[in-house]
Amino acid sequence: MTSPDEPDDLESGLLALGESLDVPVPPPADVAAAVRARLEALPAAQRHPLPPSPQTAPPGPGSEGAAPDPASPDPGSSGSGESAPADPDAPGRASPGSGPSRPAPGSRRPRGFPPAPVRRAGRTARPGARVRRRVVVAVVAVMVALFFGATPVGRAAVAEILRFAGIELRIGGEPGPLPSGMPSPLPGEERVTLQQARERVAFPLGVPAALGEPQDVRVGDGGRVVSMLWPGVRLDQYDGTLDIVFRKDLGEPWPEETVVGNSHAWWIPAKHALTYRPRAGGPEVESRLSGPTLIWQRGQVGLRLEGPADLDRAREIAESVR
Amino acid sequence: MKSVRTSEGVQTDDDEAIARSLAGDLSAYEVLVTRYSMLAHRTAAMLGAGDEAEDVVQEAFVKAYRHLAGFRRDAPFRPWLLRIVANETHNLTRSRGRRADLAGKLTDLDPPEAEGPEDAAVTTDRRTRLLEAVRTLPERERHPVVCRYFLQLSEAETAQVLGIPVGTVKSRTSRGLARLREEVDRDLT
Repeated sequence: MTSPDEPDDLESGLLALGESLDVPVPPPADVAAAVRARLEALPAAQRHPLPPSPQTAPPGPGSEGAAPDPASPDPGSSGSGESAPADPDAPGRASPGSGPSRPAPGSRRPRGFPPAPVRRAGRTARPGARVRRRVVVAVVAVMVALFFGATPVGRAAVAEILRFAGIELRIGGEPGPLPSGMPSPLPGEERVTLQQARERVAFPLGVPAALGEPQDVRVGDGGRVVSMLWPGVRLDQYDGTLDIVFRKDLGEPWPEETVVGNSHAWWIPAKHALTYRPRAGGPEVESRLSGPTLIWQRGQVGLRLEGPADLDRAREIAESVR
Repeated sequence: MKSVRTSEGVQTDDDEAIARSLAGDLSAYEVLVTRYSMLAHRTAAMLGAGDEAEDVVQEAFVKAYRHLAGFRRDAPFRPWLLRIVANETHNLTRSRGRRADLAGKLTDLDPPEAEGPEDAAVTTDRRTRLLEAVRTLPERERHPVVCRYFLQLSEAETAQVLGIPVGTVKSRTSRGLARLREEVDRDLT
């Protein structure tokens, strides 16, 4: 019992014990749905992770956001020895201890622990809502099919197809069962630096001065599309406005016509399904849910800006593209 | 603990999902939630959230989403998330003014190394005692032990999750282990 290898016995005993410890865990998909429902129930301004736009930026998530909870009390068991530096996620912009002036998200937390979390309550009880939406979609589809005879269901409902800047907008159909699950990346999508992206694509890339350097740059489909990401914002630029690069299926509210600089533009204010059409043809990339989007052209380059919650901010970013 | 994987593949997948979540794609975030749900529940329950682990975990995931922009993309997601879970758990236990007990029941699964019913009984008995011993550790030692062995986190991850330096994790873990060894020895002799 006191042999030198005892520590290993104890440690492996602990590991085995941990494995055999049973903790009640709800089905992960239910947790995901409940979390999503709660996020959707948040006021729009708080819903996005770090909306960079000044007017929508709540005190919140972003600016000090760095250290969500890290800023909050040390979870370490006792008073001694803890120190902030262990925070991997405390980036530069989180000036520690700053922001007494503004209601940090920490302060939104009602002392310690929030009251009853809105689990299934509220307008967006997810699972129910999802089912209901599916039912509605199905009912509409059936009615449309009956009405139009044998027309293919999805298409019959589309009132108008608009092609603009490499994007096909199918307007008036049900957005359809909105995609869930992990959106697939574009074919051959790779993470690159901005410089590499410039070297790899055949069209001039712009960067919106209003957002600064992108956090993440991706090139996909053999240099046809470049995606730049900032917190809460995505800008796709793609080659050629002759082919259809993306398809968007949307219902009301209808897209709005607007301008970006001298270019004609469309603002799609609602969430919609976004589908990528690979250059080589073949099957479309599984669609994903897109947030409000502004689409426009710069020369022969098509652009779609996703993320800003309102048109003014979207235009401001779009017009700063250099 | 099958959900605990640290391979490169998962790291990359996380990154992809995070990038899309940052662009406001809630479906991508659902993928992350699904991936870490089990580990998050175990963490909350074992650090003391008890039967409120579900609420703690939901709250933690909501916060994590809202603060995702502050997450350093070159760092691993798992400990960052678990830190939020640990903080929420801490807030809960503190606000309830109660002891952060280690939740979890021993399953009846036969340990694989058990040769026969007697061995299994012995093993189960030993585990029950060991679990009791862990439960009675002071919190400052129990938490690192739980993170290291029950949640199978690395020392660095444990440090991050508990918000204490790695050196402190090491010393508290070894003190906890020493105490457990004493307890177990006493029981067996």
